[in-house]
Amino acid sequence: MSNTWFYYAFFAAALVLAGVLGLLLKRNLIKLFICIEVIGKGISLLLLSTGFAKGSILTAQALVITYIVIEVSLVATALALIINVYRTTRSLDIRGLAKLKG
Amino acid sequence: MILQTALLIGVVLFSVLAILLRDLLKSAVSLAVASLLLGIIFFRMNAPYAGVFEISVVAGLITVLFILTITLVHKGDEVRESRLANWVFPLFFVIFVVIDALVMKSLLGKIPALASGAETGTFGEVLWKGRTLDLVGQIAVILAGVFAVLALFRKGDKHE
Repeated sequence: MSNTWFYYAFFAAALVLAGVLGLLLKRNLIKLFICIEVIGKGISLLLLSTGFAKGSILTAQALVITYIVIEVSLVATALALIINVYRTTRSLDIRGLAKLKG
Repeated sequence: MILQTALLIGVVLFSVLAILLRDLLKSAVSLAVASLLLGIIFFRMNAPYAGVFEISVVAGLITVLFILTITLVHKGDEVRESRLANWVFPLFFVIFVVIDALVMKSLLGKIPALASGAETGTFGEVLWKGRTLDLVGQIAVILAGVFAVLALFRKGDKHE
């Protein structure tokens, strides 16, 4: 069982790192949010694979579904925020936000 | 196992593509494909409910929201990304994947094994009886999201 756990954890870690690297290197707000989504994918894969390896897949499923519901709420709020930022700054560049005052 | 490996590699590949592609629309579609593959992996891990949610909500609804936002902010592609990202991302990613492959197995071995009792019953029983508080939290989060979106798109008062 631990062999399959290692196997899934390896891919989950790769997904999380890809997301973190994207967050550090990208400047487009939508792109940054896509990076957060990728990190979320890694986390849900790790959650479910741990449940799969430890024999508690039902609880892991319940946790993943909870995470997906939270993700939808987060995406709706964050995209609304991004649209508002675009209306204010006329750009999606994250550096434009540093110039905001007040 | 070969199919599962191919699916996992596909998830990582399409996720990396979603981050690296310049066109935002293509990025959103790549992310949707990655979610679709992840949903299939969930199905193959005997987690059909998580798979259904992943495919219908994440690959469907969230992609629609992304595409809607991208069409609303049609000048978004014009953001100048740093040139550093073009070679730093692949370089660090490959280095990390190599380190990941070398150390992950021993790292997981150091995590103390938690004693867990064998699960009984159906998924419905676990969700509705075992994780009831989670469901209350989910309702709260959905309401918070709805009110946040309403607040963000509220029209300004007349006197402003």
